[in-house]
Amino acid sequence: MTANQTKLTNLASRSKQIKLAKQRDTSQLAVSLVAYVFIGAFALFCFIPFWLVYIGSFTAESQIVQGFRMLPTKFTLDAYRFLLQGSQVYQSGFVSVFITVVGTAGAVLITSMFAYVVAHPKVKYRYVLSFYIYFTMLFPPGLVGYYLLISNWLGLRDSLLALLLPLLFSAFNSFLMTSYFRTLPFELNEAATVDGAHELYIFYRIIWPVSMPVIATIALFYALSYWNDWFNALMFIDDPHIQPLQMMLRRIVSNSQNLDYLNTNVNIPVSATGVQLSAVVITIGPIIFLYPFLQRYFIKGITIGAVKG
Amino acid sequence: MRIWRELRKNKWLYAMSLPVVVYVFTFSYVPMSAHLLAFKQFSPGKGLWGSEWIGLDNLTFFFTGPDWLGVTVNTIYLNLLFIAAGTICSLCIALLLNEIRHAYFKKVSQSLVILPHFISIVIVNLMVINFFNGQDGMINRIFSQLGFEPVYWFQTPAVWPCLLTIIFIWKGAGWGSIIYLATLTGFSEEYFESARIDGAKRLQQIWYITLPLLRPTIIVLTLLGLGRIFYGDFGLIYGIIGDNSLLFNSTDVIDTYTYRSLRSTNMNSYSNAAAVALFQSVMGLITILFFNWVVRRVDNDSKLF
Repeated sequence: MTANQTKLTNLASRSKQIKLAKQRDTSQLAVSLVAYVFIGAFALFCFIPFWLVYIGSFTAESQIVQGFRMLPTKFTLDAYRFLLQGSQVYQSGFVSVFITVVGTAGAVLITSMFAYVVAHPKVKYRYVLSFYIYFTMLFPPGLVGYYLLISNWLGLRDSLLALLLPLLFSAFNSFLMTSYFRTLPFELNEAATVDGAHELYIFYRIIWPVSMPVIATIALFYALSYWNDWFNALMFIDDPHIQPLQMMLRRIVSNSQNLDYLNTNVNIPVSATGVQLSAVVITIGPIIFLYPFLQRYFIKGITIGAVKG
Repeated sequence: MRIWRELRKNKWLYAMSLPVVVYVFTFSYVPMSAHLLAFKQFSPGKGLWGSEWIGLDNLTFFFTGPDWLGVTVNTIYLNLLFIAAGTICSLCIALLLNEIRHAYFKKVSQSLVILPHFISIVIVNLMVINFFNGQDGMINRIFSQLGFEPVYWFQTPAVWPCLLTIIFIWKGAGWGSIIYLATLTGFSEEYFESARIDGAKRLQQIWYITLPLLRPTIIVLTLLGLGRIFYGDFGLIYGIIGDNSLLFNSTDVIDTYTYRSLRSTNMNSYSNAAAVALFQSVMGLITILFFNWVVRRVDNDSKLF
């Protein structure tokens, strides 16, 4: 092959490459454009209701009856003042924080221990344990049994335990954790056993520290289910002293005449809507605040569970 | 004896599982006994075991009543809408998020689409009321500005399957996309590299490479959804519709129906509710066994058991 010929083929292949690259660019560009527009639009669709609620909670009564606005027209803190000078919001807030903290701690503790045992290769009956849980997903106990259990058999009506116990264990969370623990190298653990370490010691000193992503994920799931629970309160709690925030919100939403419930004795003319919206902001507040810290954990946690599970 | 030896050998490990074993026994297995009420006439004084057996009367009452077909059809229909719309939207979000190169934009938009998942139904309910209520609702204002007639949403059952689906998408599609996105990012870059060299356009790569690779995930998630087709989304539906009987025609599902029978002042309300719950559990068990059998045939690795 002469030098000229080589040069020619090189040139030809390069021009083909350039053509390809251009083609790729336009098709890539079109897809990217669609992606930005669609994702941007959907993100806005998800976000706008939150924004409207947030703005609405600062809007004066005279303006809010004319409908929600994207931008505040007449700024006021009256709704918050009304809500925060009542005693109910503190009581309910305390109940919510209490069940969320205590419930999540207990739930994470028992779930992680159980999931670890199910994942442990030394445990001969791990599949029996796993099926024992799985069967409850196939054949759930049903609403009637659940109601009878909590209110009649255990007698937990109007007790904080009726808010704590029902959410203490979730089969789904347990399976997510099990599939994470299965990915851990068990040699790590055998070495410790040979050294004579106690099983509990191994679990808390060796397994727990390397499982932070999945523990954080599960903790987040449990915390959200406690924080957002209203159904158990609706069924079992009539005493306003132990109704959580979500139940307080539900009561003032389902009946706008119910503002007395908030126990405010200040006389500020407020619209029911304004108070509802400020209560929503207070209820969502902690979630939004913690969200950025937790997000990097839970995406990782779910990913591990989903791909390996 | 063998069992004892195993339990003794790993006594600490079994002890660690004990809290959950006891818990699940109390909170899941014990309440299962309430299914027996379907065959009894419950009287609160005598309790579950003391109440009289009345054979199939409660079940006959449910199946000869006017409601059973309606609530069953609604449950299945709404679930099908949720599964179809949910899968398509979650898939689109995952595929398109994957196309976004701008890291900051990606992170912010992903956070925003997941956010509604973390909000309680009570709050969603409040938003829905304020946006759709009466003539002052936000949507009707927009309608009147555009020259449309206002729609009285809370009195029009026909619009609710669609509205509930939109709310379901708003709340869950972003969250559902995480699993697809996680699977997507695990695919080897080599497939796409070689496709590019062969001149495949981006859209062709998505259609001929990404989607077929995602197929098993899509199938399994869909079948899991179908397996729960007899279980209505109680939180979403009861949380938003509540006891608004004007909308029951299109929105009453088995779960909300059971809840109302349970709360009704009817003498025999517990037993009636138990009959419905039994019907639901049995149908649920049959469907999940059926779809698990289907999954086994489609993709044996993804079977549930």
